Amino acid sequence: MSISWLQAALLGLFASLASMPGMGGTSIGNYTLGRPLVGGLICGIILGDIKTGILCGVAMQVVYIALVTPGGTVSADVRAISYIGIPLAMVAVKAQGLDPASVKATGLATSMGTLVGTVGTVLFYGTATLNLVWQGIGWKAVEKGDFHKIYTVDFILPWISHILFSFIPTLIMCKLGASAVTALKNALPMDGIAMKTLFTVGALLPCVGIAILLKQIVETAADFIPFFVGFTLAASLGLNLVSAACISLIFAVIYYKLEMIKVERPAVAGGYDDDDEEEEDI
Amino acid sequence: MAEKKLSKKTLSSSFHHWYYGNLTCFTQEHMQTFGYLAAMLPIVEELYSDKEDQKKAMNTYTAFFNTEPQIGSIVVGITAGLEEARANGEDGVTDETINGLRAGLMGPLAGIGDSLIVGTLIPVLLGIALGLSNGGNPLGAIFYIIVWNLLAYFGMRFAYNKGYELGGKAVEVLVGPQGQAIRKAVGVVGGMVIGAVAATWVSVKTSLELKNSSGKVFLSLQKQLDNVYPGLLTAAFIILCWWLMAKKKMSPITVMLLLVVIAFVGVLVGFFDPGLKY
Repeated sequence: MSISWLQAALLGLFASLASMPGMGGTSIGNYTLGRPLVGGLICGIILGDIKTGILCGVAMQVVYIALVTPGGTVSADVRAISYIGIPLAMVAVKAQGLDPASVKATGLATSMGTLVGTVGTVLFYGTATLNLVWQGIGWKAVEKGDFHKIYTVDFILPWISHILFSFIPTLIMCKLGASAVTALKNALPMDGIAMKTLFTVGALLPCVGIAILLKQIVETAADFIPFFVGFTLAASLGLNLVSAACISLIFAVIYYKLEMIKVERPAVAGGYDDDDEEEEDI
Repeated sequence: MAEKKLSKKTLSSSFHHWYYGNLTCFTQEHMQTFGYLAAMLPIVEELYSDKEDQKKAMNTYTAFFNTEPQIGSIVVGITAGLEEARANGEDGVTDETINGLRAGLMGPLAGIGDSLIVGTLIPVLLGIALGLSNGGNPLGAIFYIIVWNLLAYFGMRFAYNKGYELGGKAVEVLVGPQGQAIRKAVGVVGGMVIGAVAATWVSVKTSLELKNSSGKVFLSLQKQLDNVYPGLLTAAFIILCWWLMAKKKMSPITVMLLLVVIAFVGVLVGFFDPGLKY
């Protein structure tokens, strides 16, 4: 599999739309096009192999299932993961002659995507820094009362940042990276330590993604329980995700009712104030 | 003087400017400030015909703003309502009240939005989508694109309008006791789905086996572990990563580098061997 200039340019365009902060906006750009699963579909369409694209996207999505960026601090860049990492992973998987559905292919895709995503944070800082120039123009316009320039500053000028830090890097990395990745095959034999480590890292990395999420949810040790119940449902009972989600709903309802009883209790203890409290709740 | 009332069209264009542009001109210095200015401009232009009044009103929104932009729509809606009140000469609506409210809300809403939307809703949707992607099926990605965007667009629109109609009261639903109960209940769904995602899509396996002299395997560590609890090794590695980040305050990148070392050593001693499985 090779990547043509046109295909690389299309990937570059999607990288501009999908990044955080991207030209597709937050909901459509970052949280839709930027998710590796969606990126996998789009890269698959552009490169003409949807199946491989989705499978590489799925592998990477698990690692980045909770890419929370509190206060604009990033540990990975979505445009790099989805539109540089996935295409290169697809090329690598094909070059190694792996079945895209195999665990091996998943491991390779994950390692490559994560490496690219981490290095790609440079692009995030580049974009955010260049945007300072446009904001500078914006502040001058606000001072002068030339308010319509705000639209130019917010909606149009950042495209320049993205041509420099999304489009061009993606174009070049995808075009040149594809042959580099193919050459890698000859440089590193499959049964060597380096490749074995690469695949193993690929299997371990998703643990970090899940752990980041757990960090969000878990405050006390008891908060681990829903996680392990879900884990057991899938690992031991073999339920799929939709079924597990359905079962979780009943627990959520019970939990909600219990919490509300706790909330309402002080009002009941208050005796005559009972009615007033209820009205406020509604 | 007739009371000024924002038209539906103005509110809608204000909302759409925020929906699209909340982060497009992001910088570390001013984050969502320009998105906010772009969202307030249609409002200010409709309420004030005098250029100096417009200038004064716009100046209010030059203050720093950053929150979780999707749930943050509610704040933009609230300030649209406040600006309308100010244009009608209502007492007590000043730069200080508006910016005090904005500054006071952006922290808590960022926390709620990050944990509820980015940390729960999106992973749950993605988890279900992953389940539909078996064997490279594009159905999962399509499911996510449609469901997420409908929820995000109409959810944000709802939040914006509620903010405009109810003002500060709109936030009470989110931060009040009922909101907290809902958040905790949703957290249970999130936890369980993530557990199922981990068990389904993450697979850490050891290849460590002990063989007798004739080369027959008499102890396969992976089998033993799975007899105790299926997926034990996967769960152990997840907890290890959680512990390193939550308790040892390591950054995700440090933990990833540590995993590279663990993988390398593991391959050397024969604990990990991805190739043996085929």
